Amino acid sequence: MNFKIPIGPQHPALKEPISLRMTVEGEVITDADIRLGYNHRGLEKLAEDRNWVQNIYLTERICGICSHSHATCYVQGVEKLMEIVPPKRGLYIRYLVSELERVHSHLLWLGVAGHEAGFDSFFMYTWRDREIVMDLLELVSGNRVHYAMNAIGGVRRDLDEGQKAKILEGMATLRKRSEYYFQIGANEPSFVARIAGVGMLTKEQAVALCAVGPVARASGVARDVRKEDPYAVYDELEWDLVTSDSCDVLGRVVVRVKELLESYKMIEQMVRRLPEGDIVAKAPRRPKPGEVLSRYEAPRGENTHFIQSNGTDKPERLKVRAPTLANYPATVVMLRKGFIADIPLIFAAIDPCICCAERAVTLVDGRSGEETVVRMSDLRRRSLARPANAPAKGKAAWPF
Amino acid sequence: MSDIEIVESLKRDLGAKALEITNPDRRRIFLKVAAADLVPAVTLLRDRYDCAYLATITGLDKGETFEILYHFASPVASITVRTQVPRSEPRVASICAVIPGAVLYEREIQEMFGLTVEGIPDARRLNLPDDWPDSEYPLRKDWKFVRPVEVIPGGKS
Repeated sequence: MNFKIPIGPQHPALKEPISLRMTVEGEVITDADIRLGYNHRGLEKLAEDRNWVQNIYLTERICGICSHSHATCYVQGVEKLMEIVPPKRGLYIRYLVSELERVHSHLLWLGVAGHEAGFDSFFMYTWRDREIVMDLLELVSGNRVHYAMNAIGGVRRDLDEGQKAKILEGMATLRKRSEYYFQIGANEPSFVARIAGVGMLTKEQAVALCAVGPVARASGVARDVRKEDPYAVYDELEWDLVTSDSCDVLGRVVVRVKELLESYKMIEQMVRRLPEGDIVAKAPRRPKPGEVLSRYEAPRGENTHFIQSNGTDKPERLKVRAPTLANYPATVVMLRKGFIADIPLIFAAIDPCICCAERAVTLVDGRSGEETVVRMSDLRRRSLARPANAPAKGKAAWPF
Repeated sequence: MSDIEIVESLKRDLGAKALEITNPDRRRIFLKVAAADLVPAVTLLRDRYDCAYLATITGLDKGETFEILYHFASPVASITVRTQVPRSEPRVASICAVIPGAVLYEREIQEMFGLTVEGIPDARRLNLPDDWPDSEYPLRKDWKFVRPVEVIPGGKS
């Protein structure tokens, strides 16, 4: 007997609420279909009507979790078009904020993954520690979400010695805690068993479906713009690209935890090596006609902005590709052959936002059309009960 | 492989099919091909230049023509393939057979520019609502948003 389960589209936290229509046979998902556009704001059209500076603030509002990513991707493209080189100190501060943002995004995601796997103390620990980095971001920029640090040609706020000391102190605490969670993860067999083998995406599939970010890296694809196309400061820092070849949710957790440790390393290097000098270069009002492709590694994967200028004070075209969109085709593959109970976990493995809101899920009987409304909390209860129904994979181990 | 080597190699492999190759910046290569040569060029990039990753597809409204840019990335360079189709006959071949991950981006240029992507496995709309009028394509330059007048029942007229 076939059922179709529509999930979504209401979830207010994400910039792209999605509706997934799952065809299930019993507990097993046989097919998934994605419907987008519930929050399409016509931003690319709008950008053609705003000047170069106004667009910084527009792009910053594309996403609420990685707000700095889009603004930075846009600004580094515009700087190429305007042929200005930002001062080194400005660049260091800009990418310092980028890495702090990655830390906050990954910690948020780890908490959600723990919560969906029924490991709520993990959620509470990581979200408590996320406050450390949120406070640092507020200290540096004045804001917790929209940092508004970018200006064309540099950044808007400088760092002083006190802030540098606070950042180093915060990183030392976070590193100790992250290493501790590592040990917890390694010694918590039920957590590892719950996420091992769920949401499989092979390396071939990840390559064919153009997956990006931690999803691709967890499938063994070493794709990271910071290494492939090292922009700005990344070729001056010592860090390692993290991959995992387990291809499942466990791999995605491992990649993100290890990336956290790499980010702490980068943040410390940037703070210690922060050069003296100006933080912003003077930018012209309008660039010459031209086009530029700007790439940036956001916490969830590669951001791509294509910017075309026609010589006026407004862009001719601004094309934005956010990493979540690139991962949707891969999501469909991950959901196939999975269980209904794994849906929250697999969603959480791509993007945290679908799981942070309580929302209704409708179960439709394929034959009678009868509908039953299930709350997300019930779905989660099923998720927690699932190891009892299907025995945990006894041999699964934390891969360290 | 350095940028210059890639450009030279592309010139050799594509011959007359490569209408224009530019290298405006480090690790940025722009290649122009005719619309008929698009799929062979993309296949060549995937097989010989390690460009299995399609970052996105950009559509541009140039007045008489539409320009379509396929942004590929290999570990050493970002190669953008551009092609042009006339506005009077906006048709382009689908590259989904070569790059399965392209389907969302092709759906997007279909609805945003009114292009027809021939052979696309899934021709539904991507972002626009179901009740969106058929002949309106928002990212065309001649399309302007007109905010409908809001009528509040019982309000002042």
